[in-house]
Amino acid sequence: MILLACPNCGPRNASEFRYGGEARPRPDLNAVSPEEWSDYVYMRANLLGVLREWWYHRAGCGLWFIAERHTKTHEVTATYVWTGEHV
Amino acid sequence: MSAETRRATRRLAGSPSQVIDRSRPLTFTWQGRPYTAYEGDTIASALAAAGVETFSRSFKYHRRRGLLCVSGDCPNCLVRAGDEPNVRACRTRVEAGMDVRAQNAWPSLDTDVMSLTQLASRFLPPGFYYKTFTRPRALWPFYEGVLRRAAGLGAVDPDAAPARFDHKVYEHADVLVAGGGPAGMRAALAAAGAGARVLLLEEQDALGGHLRYSGGDVNGQPAHEAARALAAEVRAHPNVTVMLDTLVIGAYDHGWFGAVQGKRLLKVRATAAVVAAGAHEQPLVFANNDLPGIMLASGVARLLHLWGVLPGRRAVVVSANPRGLQLARDLLQAGCAVTVAEMRATPEAALVEALRAGRVELLTGATVLQASGSKRVESVTLTLPGGETRVIPCDLLVLATGYLPANGLLNHAGAKPVWNAALNEFVPAGLRAGMFAAGEINGTHALAPIEREGTLAGLQAARFAGYGGDATENEIARLSAEVAAAQAQRAPWTPAQTLAPEQKKDFVCFCEDVTQADVRMTIEEGYDSMELLKRYSTISMGPCQGKMCNMAAMRLCAHHNRLSIGETGTTTARPPTRPVSLGVLGGRLLEPVRYTPLHDWHRAHGAILMNAGQWQRPEHYGDPLAEVRAVRAAVGLIDVSTLGKLLLEGSQVPDLLERIYTNRWRRLARGRVRYGLMVNEEGVVMDDGVTARLDDDRYYLTATTGGAGAVYEWIEWWLQSGWQLDARVVDVTELYAAMNLAGPYAREVLAAVASDLDLRDETFPYLGVRRGTVAGAPATLMRIGFTGELSYEIHVPAGYGLHVWQALMDAGAQYGIRPFGVEAQRILRLEKGHIIVGQDTDGLTNPFEAGMAWVVKTDKLDFLGRRALLMSDEQGHSKRLVGFTITGGALPEEGNQIVRPGAGPTGLEIIGRITSVRYSPTLDRVIGLCWLPVEMAMPGRTFTVRARGELLSGEVVATPFYDPEEVRLRG
Repeated sequence: MILLACPNCGPRNASEFRYGGEARPRPDLNAVSPEEWSDYVYMRANLLGVLREWWYHRAGCGLWFIAERHTKTHEVTATYVWTGEHV
Repeated sequence: MSAETRRATRRLAGSPSQVIDRSRPLTFTWQGRPYTAYEGDTIASALAAAGVETFSRSFKYHRRRGLLCVSGDCPNCLVRAGDEPNVRACRTRVEAGMDVRAQNAWPSLDTDVMSLTQLASRFLPPGFYYKTFTRPRALWPFYEGVLRRAAGLGAVDPDAAPARFDHKVYEHADVLVAGGGPAGMRAALAAAGAGARVLLLEEQDALGGHLRYSGGDVNGQPAHEAARALAAEVRAHPNVTVMLDTLVIGAYDHGWFGAVQGKRLLKVRATAAVVAAGAHEQPLVFANNDLPGIMLASGVARLLHLWGVLPGRRAVVVSANPRGLQLARDLLQAGCAVTVAEMRATPEAALVEALRAGRVELLTGATVLQASGSKRVESVTLTLPGGETRVIPCDLLVLATGYLPANGLLNHAGAKPVWNAALNEFVPAGLRAGMFAAGEINGTHALAPIEREGTLAGLQAARFAGYGGDATENEIARLSAEVAAAQAQRAPWTPAQTLAPEQKKDFVCFCEDVTQADVRMTIEEGYDSMELLKRYSTISMGPCQGKMCNMAAMRLCAHHNRLSIGETGTTTARPPTRPVSLGVLGGRLLEPVRYTPLHDWHRAHGAILMNAGQWQRPEHYGDPLAEVRAVRAAVGLIDVSTLGKLLLEGSQVPDLLERIYTNRWRRLARGRVRYGLMVNEEGVVMDDGVTARLDDDRYYLTATTGGAGAVYEWIEWWLQSGWQLDARVVDVTELYAAMNLAGPYAREVLAAVASDLDLRDETFPYLGVRRGTVAGAPATLMRIGFTGELSYEIHVPAGYGLHVWQALMDAGAQYGIRPFGVEAQRILRLEKGHIIVGQDTDGLTNPFEAGMAWVVKTDKLDFLGRRALLMSDEQGHSKRLVGFTITGGALPEEGNQIVRPGAGPTGLEIIGRITSVRYSPTLDRVIGLCWLPVEMAMPGRTFTVRARGELLSGEVVATPFYDPEEVRLRG
């Protein structure tokens, strides 16, 4: 089980958290094509490498935050509170 | 012969290395007959002391198998103890009264008819099942039944009482040390000395590792005494916690380890780890190498030194390292006649001299060609230098023939072992940061270097965890140089060759009865890599998981492919390191059960309870139809405390509601309530409920019982991840008890206990919310109606719940009030055509299809799912949720299919399904909701339902079924 450092609570077992998926911008829904919207709703990058992703500290402080995790090694290089740049 | 005299035949006199207490005998049974043991005995040691030689029958050929490794690795001593199958006799303490039986033998262990299969062994090649039993295909279920009876290990007794397993335990340490032998103990002391908190886990029931049973001296002191002295030092250290009988079974990410202690699963988080798990002694491969009486040297040493059991009178010791020669000395001392076949050309002079002094014949450069015997080993044929052979009678053949490192934990963490051709062993490489290996796992078998490696690994682990300073660094540098120098000069303790020429019944794999010929044929058929070889021949896939066979399989694979062993490579080790009971992994059930504040009242009043998610709710109180009638004709009261309750505060809560619900919220006035429907970004229905505006900036949202948690997290996600809104949400689900008072007399009943509420329709209309006092308790009341009757949903602080409920029941007595449960509520809402999210909808349902277009306002600027709903509306819908009734009185079941004539084996095509159906006592007919193709979804249209065993005729009916003008609701 991986360890995640909640920005509020510090390192905790992954079982305390809920996974929220890849962090990616929500498109302007009045401007995008149906194909772009479908991509946003259904498609994921599924990359091999460092992924920025949402996590929710469900059994803790209730914070949704960003973790940068390598999808192969599980190395978590950073966790931080979202500041508004990608949604 | 009595049990007493049998026992006496193989038990030696007491000695200080032994772990049995001869003053405490106990009796148990084996195959239904009584045997005597001493406290401290394992099942295996007690039976071996009593002269038992056959412990099991092998998997495929049902050959006799006896003790081999006595370490818990090999499959030979798996037995049934009481109700528990597949117990390792050599690792299980015998208990008074224990009922121990053999497995996989019929009719008895001594006369097993399935052993006749070995006469047909040339017709049972690898891949036999795949080739033989595939045609005709229809007969496979029959074949499978026969094969499962013939093969397999112990059987689970379905009538046995469920075993009790312990709660899981969580441990934390700076340094985890896996293995309490000399390397592990030195590592623990070094790490603890540097200041680290150390957790030392040892599989056996004592610290000491091989020193406990190796015999010989350490610096003039008997080895077992040296082990005890070192163990005492470890136990005395305040920074070290020792756990015995605890096997580390897996290494996972970020320093996470699993371990099993008896029936308990241990989960450990450690910053650094030292793996000092030792090595598995390896057998040789020769004809009849599986006969009872052929044992690994470490197994014989354990029997001899720990339990005082001498398993034979006339031994041949095959030795490839000094431990074999030491054991030969100890056997001699115990009164056994000994011949030594020394595989090396130049064995240790001092040991040789001592053996020769005891008149032991020592044949150097010898190796084993084959063994013979019917029920047990009776003689061994050796090949001597020059090629001549010699037959030596014996009743014990001891194999001190090399090692396979126990590197499973390292490999779980990503290490890739590399072949060391000087040692004839794989050695660890590519260890994860913070993980260190020490001792025999590294291919280091002599004691002083083992201890040095342990100290080094302990210091490195402590340093990794942030302990120690420059002095520690200097010590690490000094020891690293010493260890490297010593490792470069190690002599091999494992022979270069462990395979005799291919013969019959020369087993590579004892678990699955795979011989050298089987491996050769598998490779000849093209399965020539280790991973393919393993899967096709099933080698290494039995209980030992390759610990007894992997090395021999690699040698054979390399030989037949004309590659080096390094080029051949090994298979990937995965957790667990040993077979583990699923019950241990499961632990005890820890699913919480949630009770409402009114739970005790329900129980006291005859409620039949049901599970609703984690909650317990009354399904009914004996007569759900009477409960429905009471609500329609008089008044009823239901506990709805399980509803999700969220308090929303902030100036922009209307903006929040606009975005999470599909309908409009900006103009909701103070004191008003509105129904809301939530969809996700795919436009799929998520949840529904009502939200009340309590004050200018204060709203109260209810969600379904099952959806409460998800709705809360959903709102939090959008608030925290994207929308910069002045809005906050708090989950107050458990702070409030909630009850719904419903029926024509609801107003009268409430008026009797409410002190400051004007309940007239003009002042408290339908879809109003008011604060007031009910039976003295502060309450929030909402006039809403899932049931379709005049009703008030009353929320009070949880602690007042029972009091308010009781007051309402008392006040309602004169009107014939009844408590009603979930079942009555389901009928009442169905009569009104209200959907239940998750029952009438699924993971693909959008609101248009569910007949809820009225609550979707796509002309709003944005709400979650708007884009998807616009797109789906453009594409059109193919199905529709509609009300229906059944012609005649038959009652179909929820989930029944709606069909029409079509192709296929049944002649029917599935076109829809029933999601809700009940008999309505109010309407005296069967009503329900079902999915139908859009073109059929119009009132009056008939369709066919495939119910259990019959076809029924249904007809689409407009909803609501009951009171479509909503006269009663608004009355």
